[in-house]
Amino acid sequence: MDMTEARDFTDLTCTNLMIKLKILLKRLPPGESLTFVATREQVDNTCSPFAGQGYAVDCEQDAGNRYRVRMGK
Amino acid sequence: MSTASFLFCDPVSPERVRWFSESIAAAVRQQEPGGEGAFTIFLTGDALYSLADARTRDAWAALAVLPAVRITADGDELRLQGLRGPVLSGNPGMIIPGDGTDRTTGAFWDLVVSTLKAEWRDARQAAFLLCSSPYMNRTPVYMLRFLAGVHAAGLRPELYTYLDGVHTVHNGQRPSEFENIGRGVAALAGSAAQSGMDAWFAACSRCATARGYYQMNPGTGFCEPSSCIESIAIRPLRDILARFRERHPVLSHASGYAVPRDDPAPGIPHLVIFITNPPYCTEWTFGGISLAVAAAMDEIPVAVIFIEDGVHALCGTHEVPAADKIFNIQEMLAATLDVEGLQYLVHGPSLEVRGVRPSPEFQGLRQVHNPDLAGILRGTGQENAGRATRMIFF
Repeated sequence: MDMTEARDFTDLTCTNLMIKLKILLKRLPPGESLTFVATREQVDNTCSPFAGQGYAVDCEQDAGNRYRVRMGK
Repeated sequence: MSTASFLFCDPVSPERVRWFSESIAAAVRQQEPGGEGAFTIFLTGDALYSLADARTRDAWAALAVLPAVRITADGDELRLQGLRGPVLSGNPGMIIPGDGTDRTTGAFWDLVVSTLKAEWRDARQAAFLLCSSPYMNRTPVYMLRFLAGVHAAGLRPELYTYLDGVHTVHNGQRPSEFENIGRGVAALAGSAAQSGMDAWFAACSRCATARGYYQMNPGTGFCEPSSCIESIAIRPLRDILARFRERHPVLSHASGYAVPRDDPAPGIPHLVIFITNPPYCTEWTFGGISLAVAAAMDEIPVAVIFIEDGVHALCGTHEVPAADKIFNIQEMLAATLDVEGLQYLVHGPSLEVRGVRPSPEFQGLRQVHNPDLAGILRGTGQENAGRATRMIFF
């Protein structure tokens, strides 16, 4: 999997990742998606709940505790 | 009726003394008769200079004569600063424990601990949120003295290191002229374990990662402590905030609490965060808001009050240059306005004295004035809801 384009958010706390995602998703043009790298804990605690808020959330394990996440409206 | 106590270790500016003393005086006027000793203010470290400074000493002296207010100054630190004589003579009503002859330097901190133990009647532990690094700052010394007093009083000592406070975790500390903080923390953890009361010492994982104490193991993909003493565990902020859900005091470099005297309303203690610094050149604002948002997301009711230089976070339109890497505080606030249990407030007098106004996006935030702060400080404001309330200044 190509990891070069994805921003690495693995150092963020779940709270700060949530804030960052809300900001980035607000700016996201219609039809586009946001791709980033997160840990398993971040995926479970922060990314997955966005699926219940009308966002499409796809997640794929890349290596170890690194997951490539794609989110869109 | 409630009791409220405050601890100030850092410099107390004339502006802070003004709004704080006006708010406490207003709270005293609001309370029912017979509320003697309802407000206790502990001063140590650089906060003590405000007792001697001509810009601030009269406000403290005016508070000290009120029956409902008890001001306690750290006598050992006053001797160190050469202020004991002037402060004693100018403030006959002030309590000044510690005369420099006690080799444990514990008289002031014993009084702090006995006060909070009496006010938080069912607490089994007491904690210190440490945001400053050892050696550059003396607050870690006060943290050790406080937690030693906590342990001696039969409570479990808890240490939450955050922001630069996580430097406490660094192993191999070897100061030539100062008290060894790392060794002190390890010794306290050992004493607590020997007495069958395990200490709970933690460092925020985000802050530790940023400072190089929590590094990714490429083999496992997970972070591991690096160059750390064993007594402090690196944990997610969420784990630290889980401790805030319990009923016990959490002190910090500038902090306070209000506890209902009779039957406190059941539920998680409230948290009030004062944002007092400008938004970008230090980590205080980002750290305070991060902690507040994380707490609210864990169902701890939180009020964030932008006050003093903290009001600059709300003014103008902040734009982060493309080449810069920093959280836009205003975007952070806008993104979290809808977090349940989290409210943002702004101190009107702080705006007025600076001649600034919130940007249109934040003009809807409720402005509070000193009479409103009076209710918050004494634990009877609408932000408190009859529960215990912790207050921390960032």
